[in-house]
Amino acid sequence: MARPTTVVSSGKRLLPVLLAISLLLPLLLAGTSRAADYSVSSKTYLRYYKQEFAGGNKNTYAPLYEYLSADAANLGGTPIAFHFYGWGRVDLSDPSGGTSGKESGDIGSAYLEYLHPQGNAQMKLGRFFLTEGVAVETLDGAFFKVTTPIGIGISGYGGSPVEYSILDNTSVGDSLYGGRLFFSRSGVTEIGVSYLKDKNPFEGKDRELYGGDLWLRLFGPVELTAQASYNQATQGMASQRYALRVVPGSRFDFSGGYEAYSYKDLFQTTLHPAFAVPSIDNTDKVQTIFAVVDWEIFPGLTLELVAKNIRHDNVSTGNANRGEAGFRYAFNEKKDVFGLSAAVVTADWEENEYQEYRGFVTWSPSKLRLTLDALTQQYKKEIDGKKNAVQVVASAGYKVSSSLALSGDLTYTQSPRYEQDYAGMVRATLELGTTTGGKK
Amino acid sequence: MTRRVPFNAVFGAVLIALFVGCSAVSQTPSVPPKHPEELPAGRVDCLECHSDVSTGALKPYGTLRHSRVFIDSHGTYARQGQNLCSACHAPAFCQTCHARKDEMKPNVKMGDRPDRMAPHRGDYIVKHQIDGRLDPGSCFRCHGNKSNAQCRQCHK
Repeated sequence: MARPTTVVSSGKRLLPVLLAISLLLPLLLAGTSRAADYSVSSKTYLRYYKQEFAGGNKNTYAPLYEYLSADAANLGGTPIAFHFYGWGRVDLSDPSGGTSGKESGDIGSAYLEYLHPQGNAQMKLGRFFLTEGVAVETLDGAFFKVTTPIGIGISGYGGSPVEYSILDNTSVGDSLYGGRLFFSRSGVTEIGVSYLKDKNPFEGKDRELYGGDLWLRLFGPVELTAQASYNQATQGMASQRYALRVVPGSRFDFSGGYEAYSYKDLFQTTLHPAFAVPSIDNTDKVQTIFAVVDWEIFPGLTLELVAKNIRHDNVSTGNANRGEAGFRYAFNEKKDVFGLSAAVVTADWEENEYQEYRGFVTWSPSKLRLTLDALTQQYKKEIDGKKNAVQVVASAGYKVSSSLALSGDLTYTQSPRYEQDYAGMVRATLELGTTTGGKK
Repeated sequence: MTRRVPFNAVFGAVLIALFVGCSAVSQTPSVPPKHPEELPAGRVDCLECHSDVSTGALKPYGTLRHSRVFIDSHGTYARQGQNLCSACHAPAFCQTCHARKDEMKPNVKMGDRPDRMAPHRGDYIVKHQIDGRLDPGSCFRCHGNKSNAQCRQCHK
């Protein structure tokens, strides 16, 4: 059976209502606001690049992007906040967005949030990005979470999935809902079970997942984390991840663990055709053993080591090992960083083997900011007649005022896709607001 | 079908019991909506000022130190709650990377921030074929539930 066409929901049914509520309520509350905190962030990017296609056609692209986020907290002197994030594109030259034409955009989030002063109880209403147990979703709907005095808590959410899949003549997605039941004890543990149901045709079935998650401080600096998901539609364990972490202070951090997933059970819920048959052989299973070290050898200098062993059930894919070592040196009161890293992938099949080297530095004297980032990959087997790829990004910026910064990037790329490619970008960042305190 | 009914019934009963029997909200102070102090540049280390356990997130501050270990596994912690994250990060921070149909890769947007983690640096169109073959689950975490127009240009 052919893979269903995938489309992006415009949130036709719920979004207008939720947006109206989300936008109007802050305005009403703002009218009575005593000490509301506002912040607006505008990031404008103008990119410029050319591409030459087989047959001699040349296109010039100059997409102008605007990313806008706005947050208003303490509305009407209450613990209610409004959050917005969205972006839009207009092409000043040839269309850069493929099938989406010369204009495109998206509302990532627009929601009201209530944060109760105790117990981390909260509610959200509108379009928001949610991570809760087995759910990692963007939805148009509502979310609540509450913890009781005995440490047991519950969360729930429901609404319309912002992205869904349609199967032939099925015109729209349906609903998404779920929740999480958990127990937490300060500094000792948090354990939860979760459920998610997405009533849409995922390979002919609803998406229905059960999840478990655990954080447990075994003793002193030693912690255990675990998360697992079970796919009810395929009746199989979709994924598991278990890690032991040792954090004996602020200078050393180690984590090692085991991860496993089954293609059939994990990818059944995908909206992305790359994870579906026939693009992928869904009989495969993967088991991974990993270790990560972050060690600040002396103030400012941090060593990072990562090792991963990936094993496939299917011989045709083969197994692989990835090793990575690097260091970062923070200077200029941690405003700037110099870093070097090297990674090597060895595998059963040489088309999966490569080496990667990277170096970068940032330098921020006064209002200037200069950065340089160089990356190269050496592939064991030729890809389109080439074994090497290189990219260098140089950036220069100037802080015009405490709220406005301008910068420009120049990117050079040489890879199996490009003989040589130059791209430029100009960036303007404007941060306005009445809020004080830390925000990143 | 018959297997789902008991679960739904149990889940509903637990929900009602919690609201009726344990209606009071925990007295533990919530994480403040925003961090009261300006934060220094660079990767955050909560232990520079805080010690022991966050009263709101109920985890030791050392656990949340923004080391490579934490950054690589931040999803594990985010799935248990985002309140402490949002005290310092605006909600839009997550969607700089976890966007559903964004056209610009995070590392392009943050070309002036090579110090930030961004897994798609370079001409990742080429390298993703290898990473995708070897460990597609690592791609799936962010891209599996996305219907991105750019991906569909090749992955039809």
